[in-house]
Amino acid sequence: MNAPLHGLHVLDLSWVMVGPLSGRYLSDLGADVIKVESRSRIDPLRTLGPFKDGKPGPERSISYHNLNAGKRSLAINMKEERGREIILRLAGWADVVLESFTPGVLENLKLDYHNLKQRNPNLIMVSTSILGQTGPHALGTSGVGTMGAAMSGATFLLGWPDRPPCGPFGPWTDGVAPRFIVSSILAALHNRSRTGHGTYIDVAQAETGLYFMSPAYYEYAANGSIPARRGDAGSPLRAPHGIYPCAGDDRWVAIDASRAGHWKAFRAVVGGALLDPRFDTLIARLRNRGELDAAISDWTRPQEANAVEQRVQAVGAPCHIVSRGEDLARDPHLVAAGHLRKIDDPVFGAAEIEGPRFRLHRTPHVETRRAPLIGEHTREILESICNFSEAEIAHLTEAGVLG
Amino acid sequence: MLHDIRVLEISAPETMVAGEILADLGADVLVVEPPAGSQARRLEPFLDDTPGLERSLTWHALNRNKRGITLDLKDPDGRELFTILAAKFDVILETLGAQGESALDGFIFPAKMIRCSISPFASSGPKSEYASSDLVVMASSGAPGMTGDYDRPPIFFSVPQSMMEAGAEAAIAALASLVARDRDGVGQHAEISARIAAMTSAMSVPVVMGSGNREIPRMVGRTSVAGVDVPGVFGCADGYVLVTVAAFGPAFGPMTQRLAKWAADEGHLSREIADLNWSTFPADLSNKKTSPAQLAALVGGIRSLCLSKTKAELGAAARRLGLLTSPVMDMKDVAESEQYRGRGLWAPVSIRPDGRQLDAPARFAQFSDFTIEIARPAPLLSEHTVEILEAEAGLSRLEIQALFVQGVI
Repeated sequence: MNAPLHGLHVLDLSWVMVGPLSGRYLSDLGADVIKVESRSRIDPLRTLGPFKDGKPGPERSISYHNLNAGKRSLAINMKEERGREIILRLAGWADVVLESFTPGVLENLKLDYHNLKQRNPNLIMVSTSILGQTGPHALGTSGVGTMGAAMSGATFLLGWPDRPPCGPFGPWTDGVAPRFIVSSILAALHNRSRTGHGTYIDVAQAETGLYFMSPAYYEYAANGSIPARRGDAGSPLRAPHGIYPCAGDDRWVAIDASRAGHWKAFRAVVGGALLDPRFDTLIARLRNRGELDAAISDWTRPQEANAVEQRVQAVGAPCHIVSRGEDLARDPHLVAAGHLRKIDDPVFGAAEIEGPRFRLHRTPHVETRRAPLIGEHTREILESICNFSEAEIAHLTEAGVLG
Repeated sequence: MLHDIRVLEISAPETMVAGEILADLGADVLVVEPPAGSQARRLEPFLDDTPGLERSLTWHALNRNKRGITLDLKDPDGRELFTILAAKFDVILETLGAQGESALDGFIFPAKMIRCSISPFASSGPKSEYASSDLVVMASSGAPGMTGDYDRPPIFFSVPQSMMEAGAEAAIAALASLVARDRDGVGQHAEISARIAAMTSAMSVPVVMGSGNREIPRMVGRTSVAGVDVPGVFGCADGYVLVTVAAFGPAFGPMTQRLAKWAADEGHLSREIADLNWSTFPADLSNKKTSPAQLAALVGGIRSLCLSKTKAELGAAARRLGLLTSPVMDMKDVAESEQYRGRGLWAPVSIRPDGRQLDAPARFAQFSDFTIEIARPAPLLSEHTVEILEAEAGLSRLEIQALFVQGVI
């Protein structure tokens, strides 16, 4: 059975992470996604690691492959008038256009929704930026997902009370926003199948981050208290619930044995100091939390993190190592699920990228493929979709529009 | 967008975001809870720090625009009523237990049904039987392993994130299945792993090893360039500000250049340091054209600059000059932001039981021909049971009372 978006045409004008990851969802779901990029203004993601075997190079970024898998690449200069004409022709071909420029850039190039819609009245187009296209600070705000996290309230919530906030790992909203972008596109496709109408969708990445933090926002809005950062995971309402040290460099295990049944099982497997009556009840464990965590740490510290995970899970209490890259690469669940997929690239050979994040039983995702080389499909796209002749393509090449 | 779509959400923490996205996009979402209430009603924070089934602010935040009923899915009457309801719905959102079991085992649904099942890890295979909680699923995602200072334990958000990640992923799975169904009218089963969904927040960590690289050390919020410690967050006059100093190359280097110039203009950095070519700094460093001391001087200048400015001043400068700089906003800053208000992010919602109003972030996306509205607040426990059983299952008031007396609803 064909993948859900088989036959769908997507023009992906985006770069770095949010737009490309959104486009990757569509590509995995079977759409034909054309990524527009340029050698003269290279997608910054091609300059970000990890690179295959640690050797930098624009065709060696595994991050690029992970977010652009399965797309075709068209390398043109959109700022050239004839480059602009190529985009307009492709807008006529596309069902969906994705873009993540700083607000105002596409208007200046006359490639905004208003212009593209004239070529394709039923177009579904998404613009995504840190703060969206409207509002007093939107125009001119460009940035990356670390800024999205800071403006969504998320960065403030992560860190130690005695130190400045450190914020989440990496450009956090770059992973959050694509979920809302893709959901909006798919809903718009459903709507178009009934009504025939396209739509324009504007997603502010910081606002999607706030959505993931909405319980903290509600705490302020309803209770008037500003949620503060509080260090490691230990919830003040649960005990034991936290991160405990293990043998080795920077090795940790997460344990949540706060529920009565979990506590009983966990306590039995640890034994020793945990049998103290000070830890009999939840209230007692909350009141003696320092001693409780110290006793658990004494038990975990000499052990391998994986061994702790297995011992605690064996008695049915929630526990997992705090996974790192190497742990993920050989994690039995991820291996069995086939989440990490082999790709074979003409430049660097074999590597692994991630597969889709959910499974559809009747209309599965397409096979995970590598990402394109810069401009790998320029010629075939110009010929078969834009209907340019051999001579016209040669002319575009000479004029510096391609590449 | 989804006004013709009806969704049954077997309420759990992980289903809430999925149901909310579909409801916000216009679907008719019905939350189904056991008579004692969903586990999701027991998630903090609570209204005025006072617990209660109607007082979870997490529940209020993530169940807007939904209606709610109670139904005991283990009871023969409950099961029969659910079958009647399911025939009228398009999508089911649910979670699976540690043995892969579902409250819906044994039901046969129409072929058009789209069923999305969320597991912490997987429905079968290694770790499928793991006991889990948000902390444990997030620990397995790879993100906390990269988060926090190296001299202390990894840190996690106090707001549970695996349920957000899993729910948002499930919304995509449901909608992708819907688009497939639009072609041929046939539904399907979709399975979502909360752990794999949450791995999105680990960015490229999952693919580091498989591409022949060494483990990335845990060092978030700061970087070390040529032995110079470069923080990502600086103190400012009234809080903190995020400043990406170590951004070089053709795309980001000019932003660092403008930041350095501003610091010099304001008297916090020598002109000589500001005038270095910061786009090519790392390459120049390896050619010995520049030195780590110059980078250290830049960091010192930025630190001094930030301390002299407020969050609002730094935010305004970032927009004016095009800097990779942003105030680190707390929830009060978010609530008071001119940008979010001016853009129309907020919509009023009432928080029951006392009906107090707050402005909630209502619109994760803005559409040219559709506006996400908050049409109704999160449902009270069993608020719509009578209405639904009358209208959708044709029960009489007498029959509904009988079900209540027996604890089915």
